[in-house]
Amino acid sequence: MPVDGSGQVPVLAADRPDYRRLIERARVHSSVYTDPQIFADELARIWYRTWVFVGHASEVAQPGDYIRTTIGLQDVIMARGTDGRVHLLLNRCAHRGNLVCEAQRGNAKSFRCPYHGWTYRNTGELIGFPFNQGYGGKGTIEAELSLARVPRVAEYQGFVFGSLAPDGPDLAEHLGEAARELDRLARLSPEGRVELTAGWLRHRTRANWKLLAENETDGYHPQFVHGSIFSVTGSPIGALYSDKSAAVTRSLGRGHSENDLRPEFRKAGEPMRWFGTTADRVPAYAAAMRAAHGPAAERILIEGAPHVMIFPNLFVAEIQVFVIQPLSAGECVQHSTAVQLAGAPELNRRMVSQSVGSVGPAGMLLADDTEMYERNQRGVAMLAPEWLDLRRGLARERIDERGLRIGGATDETGMRGFWQHYLSLMEGA
Amino acid sequence: MTTPADGPENSGSGGTVASEFASVAAAVDATANGPRLRLEDLRTGKVRFLDALELETIVWLPDGHLTQLLDPSADRWREGPG
Repeated sequence: MPVDGSGQVPVLAADRPDYRRLIERARVHSSVYTDPQIFADELARIWYRTWVFVGHASEVAQPGDYIRTTIGLQDVIMARGTDGRVHLLLNRCAHRGNLVCEAQRGNAKSFRCPYHGWTYRNTGELIGFPFNQGYGGKGTIEAELSLARVPRVAEYQGFVFGSLAPDGPDLAEHLGEAARELDRLARLSPEGRVELTAGWLRHRTRANWKLLAENETDGYHPQFVHGSIFSVTGSPIGALYSDKSAAVTRSLGRGHSENDLRPEFRKAGEPMRWFGTTADRVPAYAAAMRAAHGPAAERILIEGAPHVMIFPNLFVAEIQVFVIQPLSAGECVQHSTAVQLAGAPELNRRMVSQSVGSVGPAGMLLADDTEMYERNQRGVAMLAPEWLDLRRGLARERIDERGLRIGGATDETGMRGFWQHYLSLMEGA
Repeated sequence: MTTPADGPENSGSGGTVASEFASVAAAVDATANGPRLRLEDLRTGKVRFLDALELETIVWLPDGHLTQLLDPSADRWREGPG
Protein backbone atom coordinates (compact mmCIF):
# COMPACT_ATOMS: atom_id res chain seq x y z
CA MET A 1 0.00 0.00 0.00
CA PRO A 2 1.15 3.55 -0.60
CA VAL A 3 2.42 4.31 2.87
CA ASP A 4 3.77 7.63 1.69
CA GLY A 5 0.77 8.23 -0.56
CA SER A 6 0.32 11.89 0.17
CA GLY A 7 -1.10 12.57 -3.25
CA GLN A 8 1.95 14.79 -3.80
CA VAL A 9 4.57 14.31 -6.46
CA PRO A 10 7.43 12.48 -4.76
CA VAL A 11 10.26 14.79 -3.77
CA LEU A 12 13.77 13.76 -4.71
CA ALA A 13 16.11 13.39 -1.77
CA ALA A 14 18.54 15.83 -3.31
CA ASP A 15 15.86 18.52 -3.37
CA ARG A 16 14.94 18.20 0.28
CA PRO A 17 15.56 21.17 2.55
CA ASP A 18 18.47 21.03 4.92
CA TYR A 19 16.48 20.86 8.13
CA ARG A 20 19.54 21.33 10.34
CA ARG A 21 19.85 24.82 8.91
CA LEU A 22 16.18 25.60 9.50
CA ILE A 23 15.86 24.24 13.04
CA GLU A 24 18.40 25.34 15.60
CA ARG A 25 18.35 24.77 19.31
CA ALA A 26 16.95 28.19 20.16
CA ARG A 27 15.31 29.36 16.94
CA VAL A 28 13.28 28.04 14.02
CA HIS A 29 13.08 29.39 10.48
CA SER A 30 9.70 30.78 9.32
CA SER A 31 9.64 28.62 6.22
CA VAL A 32 8.86 25.48 8.24
CA TYR A 33 5.40 26.96 8.83
CA THR A 34 4.73 28.16 5.28
CA ASP A 35 6.57 26.03 2.71
CA PRO A 36 4.28 23.53 0.87
CA GLN A 37 7.26 21.30 0.11
CA ILE A 38 8.06 21.02 3.80
CA PHE A 39 4.42 20.17 4.49
CA ALA A 40 4.58 17.38 1.89
CA ASP A 41 7.77 16.18 3.54
CA GLU A 42 6.04 16.19 6.96
CA LEU A 43 3.23 14.02 5.61
CA ALA A 44 5.72 11.42 4.43
CA ARG A 45 8.10 11.55 7.37
CA ILE A 46 5.83 12.30 10.32
CA TRP A 47 2.14 11.76 9.62
CA TYR A 48 2.54 8.65 7.46
CA ARG A 49 5.28 7.15 9.56
CA THR A 50 5.00 7.80 13.28
CA TRP A 51 2.11 6.87 15.61
CA VAL A 52 -0.84 9.22 15.20
CA PHE A 53 -3.88 9.40 17.48
CA VAL A 54 -7.02 8.44 15.54
CA GLY A 55 -9.79 8.09 18.12
CA HIS A 56 -10.84 6.51 21.37
CA ALA A 57 -12.05 2.94 21.80
CA SER A 58 -15.19 4.27 23.49
CA GLU A 59 -16.18 5.92 20.20
CA VAL A 60 -16.72 2.48 18.67
CA ALA A 61 -18.05 0.69 21.73
CA GLN A 62 -20.33 -1.81 19.98
CA PRO A 63 -19.42 -4.40 17.32
CA GLY A 64 -20.20 -2.80 13.96
CA ASP A 65 -19.68 0.74 15.24
CA TYR A 66 -17.51 2.91 13.02
CA ILE A 67 -16.34 6.51 12.81
CA ARG A 68 -14.49 8.44 10.13
CA THR A 69 -11.18 9.92 11.23
CA THR A 70 -7.86 10.94 9.67
CA ILE A 71 -4.13 10.32 9.62
CA GLY A 72 -2.62 13.38 8.00
CA LEU A 73 -4.59 13.83 4.76
CA GLN A 74 -5.73 10.20 4.75
CA ASP A 75 -9.42 9.54 5.36
CA VAL A 76 -9.55 6.63 7.79
CA ILE A 77 -12.40 4.39 8.98
CA MET A 78 -12.09 3.21 12.58
CA ALA A 79 -14.40 0.22 13.07
CA ARG A 80 -15.02 -2.39 15.72
CA GLY A 81 -15.25 -5.84 14.20
CA THR A 82 -17.49 -8.64 15.41
CA ASP A 83 -14.25 -10.04 16.90
CA GLY A 84 -14.28 -7.06 19.28
CA ARG A 85 -11.07 -5.61 17.84
CA VAL A 86 -10.59 -2.10 16.51
CA HIS A 87 -9.63 -1.93 12.83
CA LEU A 88 -8.28 1.04 10.88
CA LEU A 89 -9.00 1.11 7.14
CA LEU A 90 -8.29 3.68 4.46
CA ASN A 91 -11.61 5.00 3.16
CA ARG A 92 -10.98 4.19 -0.50
CA CYS A 93 -12.70 1.58 -2.64
CA ALA A 94 -10.28 -0.91 -4.21
CA HIS A 95 -12.17 -0.59 -7.51
CA ARG A 96 -12.09 3.04 -8.65
CA GLY A 97 -10.90 4.78 -5.50
CA ASN A 98 -14.20 6.26 -4.37
CA LEU A 99 -14.82 7.10 -0.72
CA VAL A 100 -16.71 4.12 0.70
CA CYS A 101 -18.09 5.69 3.90
CA GLU A 102 -19.70 9.13 3.89
CA ALA A 103 -21.35 9.39 7.33
CA GLN A 104 -19.12 10.50 10.21
CA ARG A 105 -20.35 7.57 12.30
CA GLY A 106 -22.70 4.63 12.15
CA ASN A 107 -23.19 0.95 12.83
CA ALA A 108 -22.59 -1.46 9.97
CA LYS A 109 -20.77 -4.78 9.84
CA SER A 110 -20.14 -4.26 6.15
CA PHE A 111 -19.69 -1.25 3.87
CA ARG A 112 -21.04 -0.88 0.32
CA CYS A 113 -19.36 1.61 -2.00
CA PRO A 114 -22.01 3.91 -3.48
CA TYR A 115 -20.30 4.02 -6.88
CA HIS A 116 -20.54 0.41 -8.16
CA GLY A 117 -21.72 -1.48 -5.08
CA TRP A 118 -18.48 -3.19 -4.11
CA THR A 119 -19.06 -4.48 -0.59
CA TYR A 120 -16.50 -5.00 2.17
CA ARG A 121 -16.49 -6.39 5.68
CA ASN A 122 -15.71 -3.77 8.30
CA THR A 123 -12.35 -5.51 8.68
CA GLY A 124 -11.49 -4.65 5.08
CA GLU A 125 -12.08 -7.94 3.19
CA LEU A 126 -13.91 -7.65 -0.11
CA ILE A 127 -17.15 -9.66 0.12
CA GLY A 128 -18.16 -9.18 -3.48
CA PHE A 129 -19.45 -6.91 -6.23
CA PRO A 130 -22.46 -6.74 -8.57
CA PHE A 131 -22.56 -8.77 -11.81
CA ASN A 132 -19.46 -10.79 -10.98
CA GLN A 133 -19.36 -12.59 -14.35
CA GLY A 134 -17.52 -9.51 -15.59
CA TYR A 135 -14.65 -10.64 -13.38
CA GLY A 136 -14.98 -14.33 -14.22
CA GLY A 137 -17.40 -15.15 -11.38
CA LYS A 138 -17.23 -15.48 -7.63
CA GLY A 139 -13.91 -15.93 -5.86
CA THR A 140 -11.69 -14.73 -8.67
CA ILE A 141 -10.24 -11.39 -7.57
CA GLU A 142 -11.72 -10.82 -4.11
CA ALA A 143 -8.64 -12.08 -2.27
CA GLU A 144 -6.29 -9.65 -3.98
CA LEU A 145 -8.47 -6.58 -3.45
CA SER A 146 -9.50 -5.15 -0.09
CA LEU A 147 -9.77 -1.88 1.75
CA ALA A 148 -6.21 -0.94 2.70
CA ARG A 149 -5.49 -1.54 6.35
CA VAL A 150 -3.39 0.81 8.44
CA PRO A 151 -0.47 -1.56 9.06
CA ARG A 152 -0.18 -0.95 12.79
CA VAL A 153 -2.94 -0.24 15.30
CA ALA A 154 -2.45 -0.05 19.06
CA GLU A 155 -4.30 1.27 22.09
CA TYR A 156 -3.24 2.81 25.36
CA GLN A 157 -5.88 3.57 28.02
CA GLY A 158 -8.41 3.29 25.20
CA PHE A 159 -6.63 5.95 23.10
CA VAL A 160 -6.22 4.37 19.66
CA PHE A 161 -3.18 5.16 17.55
CA GLY A 162 -2.33 4.13 14.00
CA SER A 163 0.94 4.04 12.12
CA LEU A 164 1.12 3.84 8.33
CA ALA A 165 4.64 2.46 8.60
CA PRO A 166 4.74 -1.34 8.83
CA ASP A 167 7.84 -1.17 11.02
CA GLY A 168 9.27 1.19 13.59
CA PRO A 169 9.13 1.87 17.31
CA ASP A 170 6.08 0.30 18.96
CA LEU A 171 3.46 2.46 20.65
CA ALA A 172 4.94 1.98 24.12
CA GLU A 173 8.28 3.27 22.88
CA HIS A 174 6.61 6.17 21.05
CA LEU A 175 4.60 7.25 24.08
CA GLY A 176 7.48 6.77 26.50
CA GLU A 177 7.10 9.04 29.50
CA ALA A 178 3.84 10.47 28.12
CA ALA A 179 2.05 7.17 28.83
CA ARG A 180 1.96 7.88 32.54
CA GLU A 181 0.08 11.12 31.85
CA LEU A 182 -2.69 9.08 30.19
CA ASP A 183 -2.58 6.82 33.26
CA ARG A 184 -3.00 9.92 35.41
CA LEU A 185 -6.11 10.88 33.44
CA ALA A 186 -7.61 7.37 33.68
CA ARG A 187 -7.07 7.11 37.43
CA LEU A 188 -9.36 10.11 37.87
CA SER A 189 -12.18 7.75 36.91
CA PRO A 190 -13.53 5.68 39.81
CA GLU A 191 -13.57 2.82 37.31
CA GLY A 192 -10.18 3.66 35.82
CA ARG A 193 -11.55 4.36 32.34
CA VAL A 194 -11.65 7.44 30.13
CA GLU A 195 -14.45 7.78 27.58
CA LEU A 196 -14.58 10.26 24.70
CA THR A 197 -18.31 10.08 24.08
CA ALA A 198 -19.44 13.70 24.48
CA GLY A 199 -19.14 14.45 20.75
CA TRP A 200 -16.54 16.50 18.88
CA LEU A 201 -16.45 20.14 17.91
CA ARG A 202 -14.45 20.98 14.80
CA HIS A 203 -12.78 24.33 14.23
CA ARG A 204 -11.13 24.98 10.89
CA THR A 205 -8.05 27.09 11.57
CA ARG A 206 -5.95 29.03 9.08
CA ALA A 207 -2.62 28.17 10.68
CA ASN A 208 0.14 25.61 10.40
CA TRP A 209 -0.44 22.58 12.66
CA LYS A 210 2.88 23.09 14.46
CA LEU A 211 1.86 26.48 15.83
CA LEU A 212 -0.88 24.62 17.72
CA ALA A 213 1.33 21.77 18.88
CA GLU A 214 3.87 24.27 20.24
CA ASN A 215 1.27 26.42 21.93
CA GLU A 216 -0.39 23.58 23.83
CA THR A 217 2.31 23.56 26.50
CA ASP A 218 3.40 27.18 26.15
CA GLY A 219 2.98 28.48 29.68
CA TYR A 220 4.01 31.98 28.63
CA HIS A 221 0.81 32.99 26.80
CA PRO A 222 -2.09 32.15 29.21
CA GLN A 223 -1.86 35.33 31.27
CA PHE A 224 -2.08 37.41 28.09
CA VAL A 225 -4.29 35.45 25.73
CA HIS A 226 -6.59 33.93 28.33
CA GLY A 227 -6.78 36.83 30.77
CA SER A 228 -10.45 37.38 29.94
CA ILE A 229 -11.65 33.84 30.72
CA PHE A 230 -9.54 33.72 33.89
CA SER A 231 -11.08 36.96 35.13
CA VAL A 232 -14.65 36.04 34.19
CA THR A 233 -14.49 32.62 35.84
CA GLY A 234 -12.33 33.63 38.80
CA SER A 235 -10.04 30.72 37.91
CA PRO A 236 -6.92 30.34 40.06
CA ILE A 237 -5.13 28.61 37.17
CA GLY A 238 -3.88 31.75 35.41
CA ALA A 239 -1.61 32.67 38.32
CA LEU A 240 0.10 29.30 38.04
CA TYR A 241 1.61 30.41 34.72
CA SER A 242 4.03 33.00 36.03
CA ASP A 243 7.68 33.30 36.99
CA LYS A 244 6.72 32.92 40.66
CA SER A 245 5.01 29.59 40.05
CA ALA A 246 6.47 26.29 41.24
CA ALA A 247 4.88 24.61 38.20
CA VAL A 248 7.27 23.31 35.55
CA THR A 249 7.33 22.79 31.81
CA ARG A 250 8.71 19.34 31.06
CA SER A 251 9.99 17.86 27.83
CA LEU A 252 8.89 14.23 27.99
CA GLY A 253 11.02 13.10 25.04
CA ARG A 254 9.92 12.05 21.52
CA GLY A 255 8.38 15.47 21.02
CA HIS A 256 5.91 15.15 23.90
CA SER A 257 5.70 17.83 26.60
CA GLU A 258 3.65 18.91 29.56
CA ASN A 259 2.88 21.77 31.88
CA ASP A 260 3.12 20.10 35.27
CA LEU A 261 1.04 22.14 37.72
CA ARG A 262 1.21 19.54 40.48
CA PRO A 263 3.85 21.36 42.55
CA GLU A 264 1.37 24.21 42.99
CA PHE A 265 -1.59 21.94 43.67
CA ARG A 266 0.41 19.98 46.24
CA LYS A 267 1.31 23.23 48.00
CA ALA A 268 -2.37 24.19 48.19
CA GLY A 269 -3.28 20.63 49.26
CA GLU A 270 -6.95 21.06 48.32
CA PRO A 271 -8.76 18.22 46.54
CA MET A 272 -10.42 19.34 43.25
CA ARG A 273 -8.64 22.72 43.16
CA TRP A 274 -7.28 21.63 39.74
CA PHE A 275 -10.91 21.61 38.59
CA GLY A 276 -11.62 25.01 40.12
CA THR A 277 -13.89 23.59 42.79
CA THR A 278 -13.86 21.78 46.12
CA ALA A 279 -14.64 18.16 46.99
CA ASP A 280 -17.86 19.09 48.81
CA ARG A 281 -19.24 20.54 45.57
CA VAL A 282 -18.88 17.14 43.88
CA PRO A 283 -19.70 14.82 46.81
CA ALA A 284 -20.75 11.75 44.82
CA TYR A 285 -17.56 11.88 42.75
CA ALA A 286 -15.31 12.36 45.78
CA ALA A 287 -17.04 9.48 47.57
CA ALA A 288 -16.68 7.19 44.55
CA MET A 289 -12.98 8.04 44.27
CA ARG A 290 -12.38 7.41 47.96
CA ALA A 291 -14.20 4.09 47.70
CA ALA A 292 -12.15 3.11 44.66
CA HIS A 293 -8.70 4.33 45.74
CA GLY A 294 -8.80 4.39 49.55
CA PRO A 295 -6.25 6.71 51.19
CA ALA A 296 -4.54 7.33 47.82
CA ALA A 297 -7.65 9.20 46.65
CA GLU A 298 -6.61 12.43 48.40
CA ARG A 299 -3.38 12.71 46.43
CA ILE A 300 -5.13 11.85 43.17
CA LEU A 301 -7.81 14.47 43.77
CA ILE A 302 -5.20 17.08 44.72
CA GLU A 303 -2.89 16.46 41.75
CA GLY A 304 -5.67 16.37 39.17
CA ALA A 305 -5.48 15.83 35.43
CA PRO A 306 -2.54 16.15 33.05
CA HIS A 307 -1.81 18.96 30.62
CA VAL A 308 0.15 17.04 28.02
CA MET A 309 0.85 17.36 24.30
CA ILE A 310 1.49 13.96 22.71
CA PHE A 311 3.36 14.29 19.41
CA PRO A 312 2.12 14.98 16.82
CA ASN A 313 -1.61 15.51 17.29
CA LEU A 314 -3.10 14.62 20.70
CA PHE A 315 -3.46 17.22 23.42
CA VAL A 316 -5.01 16.44 26.79
CA ALA A 317 -5.86 19.71 28.55
CA GLU A 318 -7.10 18.51 31.93
CA ILE A 319 -10.82 18.29 31.13
CA GLN A 320 -10.68 18.39 27.33
CA VAL A 321 -9.03 16.50 24.55
CA PHE A 322 -7.90 18.27 21.40
CA VAL A 323 -6.81 16.64 18.17
CA ILE A 324 -4.86 18.50 15.49
CA GLN A 325 -5.57 17.53 11.87
CA PRO A 326 -3.26 19.11 9.27
CA LEU A 327 -4.75 20.18 5.93
CA SER A 328 -1.93 22.14 4.30
CA ALA A 329 1.03 24.29 5.30
CA GLY A 330 -1.37 27.08 6.21
CA GLU A 331 -4.47 25.28 7.45
CA CYS A 332 -5.58 22.68 9.96
CA VAL A 333 -8.62 21.53 11.93
CA GLN A 334 -8.86 21.50 15.70
CA HIS A 335 -11.15 18.80 17.07
CA SER A 336 -12.16 19.11 20.70
CA THR A 337 -14.27 17.15 23.16
CA ALA A 338 -14.90 17.02 26.89
CA VAL A 339 -13.18 14.25 28.84
CA GLN A 340 -15.69 11.83 30.31
CA LEU A 341 -14.72 9.54 33.18
CA ALA A 342 -16.47 6.19 33.67
CA GLY A 343 -18.37 6.12 36.94
CA ALA A 344 -18.30 9.91 37.40
CA PRO A 345 -21.61 11.32 36.04
CA GLU A 346 -21.51 14.27 38.43
CA LEU A 347 -18.09 15.38 37.16
CA ASN A 348 -18.92 14.52 33.55
CA ARG A 349 -21.81 16.98 33.44
CA ARG A 350 -19.54 19.72 34.72
CA MET A 351 -16.80 18.84 32.25
CA VAL A 352 -19.26 19.13 29.37
CA SER A 353 -20.56 22.51 30.53
CA GLN A 354 -17.03 23.80 31.16
CA SER A 355 -16.00 22.63 27.72
CA VAL A 356 -18.93 24.44 26.13
CA GLY A 357 -17.71 27.59 27.86
CA SER A 358 -14.10 27.13 26.76
CA VAL A 359 -14.19 25.48 23.33
CA GLY A 360 -17.85 25.73 22.24
CA PRO A 361 -19.00 28.00 19.42
CA ALA A 362 -19.16 30.95 21.85
CA GLY A 363 -16.40 29.62 24.09
CA MET A 364 -13.61 31.89 25.22
CA LEU A 365 -10.53 29.68 25.37
CA LEU A 366 -10.15 28.09 21.95
CA ALA A 367 -11.35 31.21 20.15
CA ASP A 368 -8.63 33.26 21.84
CA ASP A 369 -5.94 30.73 20.97
CA THR A 370 -7.19 30.45 17.40
CA GLU A 371 -7.02 34.20 16.96
CA MET A 372 -3.36 33.99 17.96
CA TYR A 373 -2.70 31.02 15.62
CA GLU A 374 -4.18 32.79 12.62
CA ARG A 375 -2.41 36.07 13.34
CA ASN A 376 0.77 34.06 13.85
CA GLN A 377 0.39 32.34 10.47
CA ARG A 378 0.07 35.73 8.78
CA GLY A 379 3.05 37.00 10.73
CA VAL A 380 5.42 34.18 9.83
CA ALA A 381 4.76 34.91 6.15
CA MET A 382 6.46 38.31 6.56
CA LEU A 383 9.95 38.52 5.13
CA ALA A 384 11.83 39.62 8.24
CA PRO A 385 12.93 38.79 10.82
CA GLU A 386 13.22 35.32 9.31
CA TRP A 387 13.38 33.41 12.58
CA LEU A 388 11.10 32.56 15.52
CA ASP A 389 12.86 32.77 18.86
CA LEU A 390 12.83 29.75 21.16
CA ARG A 391 15.38 30.66 23.81
CA ARG A 392 13.09 31.47 26.73
CA GLY A 393 14.36 29.71 29.86
CA LEU A 394 17.24 28.00 28.08
CA ALA A 395 19.74 29.14 30.69
CA ARG A 396 17.69 27.88 33.64
CA GLU A 397 16.73 24.44 32.35
CA ARG A 398 17.70 21.43 34.40
CA ILE A 399 17.31 17.68 34.44
CA ASP A 400 14.78 16.32 36.93
CA GLU A 401 14.92 13.16 39.02
CA ARG A 402 13.37 11.19 36.13
CA GLY A 403 16.14 12.34 33.79
CA LEU A 404 13.78 14.66 31.90
CA ARG A 405 14.49 18.25 30.93
CA ILE A 406 12.40 20.79 32.81
CA GLY A 407 12.09 24.55 32.78
CA GLY A 408 9.99 27.13 34.58
CA ALA A 409 6.24 27.39 34.15
CA THR A 410 6.60 29.99 31.38
CA ASP A 411 9.66 28.56 29.64
CA GLU A 412 9.87 27.19 26.10
CA THR A 413 11.33 23.85 27.16
CA GLY A 414 8.44 21.90 25.64
CA MET A 415 8.82 23.61 22.26
CA ARG A 416 12.53 22.88 22.15
CA GLY A 417 11.79 19.21 22.83
CA PHE A 418 9.19 19.24 20.04
CA TRP A 419 11.67 20.64 17.53
CA GLN A 420 14.43 18.26 18.53
CA HIS A 421 12.17 15.29 17.79
CA TYR A 422 10.79 16.92 14.63
CA LEU A 423 14.33 17.36 13.37
CA SER A 424 15.19 13.71 14.07
CA LEU A 425 12.20 12.57 11.99
CA MET A 426 12.65 15.03 9.14
CA GLU A 427 16.35 14.54 8.54
CA GLY A 428 16.44 10.78 9.07
CA ALA A 429 16.95 8.31 6.26
CA MET B 1 -19.81 -11.18 22.91
CA THR B 2 -22.05 -10.01 25.73
CA THR B 3 -22.28 -6.29 26.17
CA PRO B 4 -24.58 -4.01 28.16
CA ALA B 5 -26.47 -3.38 24.94
CA ASP B 6 -27.54 -7.03 24.92
CA GLY B 7 -30.01 -6.29 27.67
CA PRO B 8 -33.64 -5.78 26.72
CA GLU B 9 -33.73 -2.58 28.81
CA ASN B 10 -31.69 -0.86 26.10
CA SER B 11 -34.07 -1.81 23.33
CA GLY B 12 -36.41 0.61 21.66
CA SER B 13 -39.99 -0.04 20.72
CA GLY B 14 -40.65 -3.41 19.17
CA GLY B 15 -42.71 -6.51 19.50
CA THR B 16 -42.70 -10.27 19.53
CA VAL B 17 -43.13 -12.51 16.52
CA ALA B 18 -44.22 -15.93 17.79
CA SER B 19 -45.61 -19.17 16.49
CA GLU B 20 -45.83 -22.67 17.85
CA PHE B 21 -42.28 -23.21 16.51
CA ALA B 22 -40.31 -20.16 17.56
CA SER B 23 -40.59 -16.93 19.49
CA VAL B 24 -38.45 -13.89 18.63
CA ALA B 25 -38.52 -10.38 20.04
CA ALA B 26 -37.60 -7.60 17.60
CA ALA B 27 -36.72 -4.01 18.46
CA VAL B 28 -34.77 -1.12 17.00
CA ASP B 29 -31.73 -0.67 19.21
CA ALA B 30 -30.24 2.80 19.70
CA THR B 31 -27.19 2.08 21.86
CA ALA B 32 -24.62 1.95 19.05
CA ASN B 33 -23.29 4.62 16.66
CA GLY B 34 -26.31 4.03 14.42
CA PRO B 35 -29.65 2.22 14.67
CA ARG B 36 -29.77 -1.56 14.28
CA LEU B 37 -32.35 -4.28 14.68
CA ARG B 38 -32.08 -6.29 17.87
CA LEU B 39 -33.46 -9.83 17.60
CA GLU B 40 -33.76 -12.10 20.60
CA ASP B 41 -34.65 -15.79 20.45
CA LEU B 42 -36.89 -15.82 23.50
CA ARG B 43 -36.51 -19.57 23.97
CA THR B 44 -32.73 -19.42 24.45
CA GLY B 45 -31.99 -15.75 25.10
CA LYS B 46 -29.58 -15.63 22.16
CA VAL B 47 -29.33 -12.12 20.71
CA ARG B 48 -28.33 -10.94 17.24
CA PHE B 49 -28.02 -7.43 15.88
CA LEU B 50 -28.65 -6.74 12.20
CA ASP B 51 -27.59 -3.52 10.50
CA ALA B 52 -29.42 -1.85 7.63
CA LEU B 53 -27.34 -3.42 4.86
CA GLU B 54 -27.86 -6.90 6.33
CA LEU B 55 -31.60 -6.30 6.55
CA GLU B 56 -31.74 -5.12 2.95
CA THR B 57 -29.86 -8.24 1.96
CA ILE B 58 -32.40 -10.43 3.78
CA VAL B 59 -35.27 -8.62 2.08
CA TRP B 60 -33.77 -9.48 -1.30
CA LEU B 61 -32.86 -13.09 -0.40
CA PRO B 62 -34.62 -15.51 -2.80
CA ASP B 63 -37.09 -17.79 -1.02
CA GLY B 64 -35.10 -20.80 -2.07
CA HIS B 65 -31.94 -19.45 -0.49
CA LEU B 66 -33.77 -18.75 2.75
CA THR B 67 -35.22 -22.26 2.69
CA GLN B 68 -31.70 -23.67 2.54
CA LEU B 69 -30.84 -21.75 5.72
CA LEU B 70 -33.90 -23.25 7.42
CA ASP B 71 -32.52 -26.78 7.07
CA PRO B 72 -31.73 -27.66 10.73
CA SER B 73 -28.48 -29.25 9.61
CA ALA B 74 -27.36 -26.12 7.73
CA ASP B 75 -25.83 -24.46 10.77
CA ARG B 76 -27.37 -24.79 14.22
CA TRP B 77 -27.70 -28.55 14.43
CA ARG B 78 -24.94 -29.48 12.05
CA GLU B 79 -22.91 -32.50 13.14
CA GLY B 80 -19.26 -33.07 12.42
CA PRO B 81 -16.98 -30.99 10.21
CA GLY B 82 -19.12 -31.53 7.09
